[in-house]
Amino acid sequence: MSADTTGGADGDGAAVSRETIPERGDQSLLEVRDLDAGYGDLQILTDVDMDVADGEYVTIVGPNGAGKSTVMKSVFGLTTHMGGTVTFEDEDITGLRPEEIIHEGIGYVPQNHNVFASLTVRENLEMGAYILDEVPQDALDAVFDRFPILEERQTQKAGTMSGGQQQMLAMGRALMLDPSLLLLDEPSAGLAPDLVDDMFDRIDAINDDGTAILMVEQNAKEALRRCDRGYVLANGQNRYMDDGDVLLNDEQVRQDFLGG
Amino acid sequence: MGIAETYTRGRQFAVARPGSVLLALVGIILLYDLLSGLATGQTSFSSVGSLVWDGLMRGLVIGLAGIGLSMTYSILNFANFAHGDFITAGAFSGWATTYLVAGLGRADVGALLLVGAGGSVFGGTLGIGVTGTPLAVAAGALVAGVATVVLALGIDRLVFKPIRDEDGITLLITSVGVAFALRYLMQFVFGSSVRGTTSQPPSISLYFVDGAVRINAHDIAVVVVAGGLMLAVHLLLQMTKLGKAMRAMADNEDLAQITGIPTERVVRSVWVIGGGLTGVAGYMFILWKGTLGFNDGWLLLLLIFAAVILGGIGSIYGAIVGGLAIGLTASVSVIWIPSAFARAAAFAVMIVLLLVKPEGIFSGRSTA
Repeated sequence: MSADTTGGADGDGAAVSRETIPERGDQSLLEVRDLDAGYGDLQILTDVDMDVADGEYVTIVGPNGAGKSTVMKSVFGLTTHMGGTVTFEDEDITGLRPEEIIHEGIGYVPQNHNVFASLTVRENLEMGAYILDEVPQDALDAVFDRFPILEERQTQKAGTMSGGQQQMLAMGRALMLDPSLLLLDEPSAGLAPDLVDDMFDRIDAINDDGTAILMVEQNAKEALRRCDRGYVLANGQNRYMDDGDVLLNDEQVRQDFLGG
Repeated sequence: MGIAETYTRGRQFAVARPGSVLLALVGIILLYDLLSGLATGQTSFSSVGSLVWDGLMRGLVIGLAGIGLSMTYSILNFANFAHGDFITAGAFSGWATTYLVAGLGRADVGALLLVGAGGSVFGGTLGIGVTGTPLAVAAGALVAGVATVVLALGIDRLVFKPIRDEDGITLLITSVGVAFALRYLMQFVFGSSVRGTTSQPPSISLYFVDGAVRINAHDIAVVVVAGGLMLAVHLLLQMTKLGKAMRAMADNEDLAQITGIPTERVVRSVWVIGGGLTGVAGYMFILWKGTLGFNDGWLLLLLIFAAVILGGIGSIYGAIVGGLAIGLTASVSVIWIPSAFARAAAFAVMIVLLLVKPEGIFSGRSTA
């Protein structure tokens, strides 16, 4: 399962290991193979491969316009599928609609407008469990344990909360169905610098409790430091794939993608 | 402190918001005119009271009918110009039922079903009213609601669903086409005459300062039905899972989809609830005013648009408040201007208020 395709941009071949096996148990949760996808007639991704193992923490980094968010949206059925497959827990979910995929155990937190601004905090969380007949009390308690501020602000309109609190609410909403894979699109975007670390700590904690994470991050260095494995995407194609630390210390990756 | 600062602040306000100052001036002049009229006895308190009551009734009908329009706007993202003809369709289906129940055996069934087209039967002759024929009126209101739901769902399936992803302008123009088709279909079936539908309802006179304000049984019916349905919509939106999903979808449709809310099913619920309210509003409108013509809904739609835009389009609470404001304006304005301009006054109020507060009373698109 070679997950990356070509070498460095100028072809002088970066010394990056190509055959890293997912760390935790090799139990593959998500398998993306040869994925071509885009929006309407516009193709963004070409032959993208990606794996997330059970309980693994994977980040996607790369320059603007590399197609990082598009990978995530494609997994969640929000793009135009043009080829390849997406398999989740050994089931082919290629081309399913978001409202079907959410039943499979994938939660998605988009980057922008990720809370219902005019609904209260509690109503936002209830909407997270819409597909269930009743709001699961244990899941609600777990979200409140994880983000105590949400319990305090239950009756507040989501739109009146700070950016960091809205981000917590968006994650809490996605966790209401206790997904086995959580897709996070730029969770640190727009946060005050002193809140970024806190946000990464919370993501670590979610991962420690067994939820696999696939994350797109602008803050590439911190993301690679925290994750198990990272993918570097450029021009809608796989460029590198390795352990986060290895990518972080790779000269070529540092130069081309991490700003030295 | 003191006069100088007050003056400076007042000056700043006047420069920053000249519209508000002008509006306040006009308000003061009108109020002065009214008060001097009342003081000199040119205007009687009871006539003002009657106009206010009339305006409240009109406002309740407009508000009730506006809820459906606001709902479709906030959740389907288009201004539905066929809404007025949904009102008329509800009215005709409901009144056909009322005529049938009230007049069965006393008149030709065909004439009853056509709501006395061409003067074949008269509502007054059948003694129709909430007190005279309560069962016929209740059945009519119910059928008006149900028939409009069926009509709205049918038109959505046939016309709006296939173009759901088009932009608002496409949907709007399509809805204008639907409006014309419906209206002239109804004119073809029921004729173009305006018929009287009710007999004189019993009324009570409430003593009010220098005279009496008459309140009739149909006014009471409008208050009970419109008030009850508005409360029901409020409870639905705030307390039920479906209501919350509707608000969520009005707020952010993409996120609603990601969250797993079945958006097509919510859209259907919007047509069911909005259509039902619209049909009942059409029925109550005719019960209250006592005449029925094929243009009634279309003419009312203009006032409804004024109301929902004034209230903040997309907000159902805005529709209710806006409806009352427009209804009161249209009725009370005859104190100062000839009644032929009442409608114009309602729109003038809408335009002026929007100049001062462009997003409407309740800044819209939240359904909450």
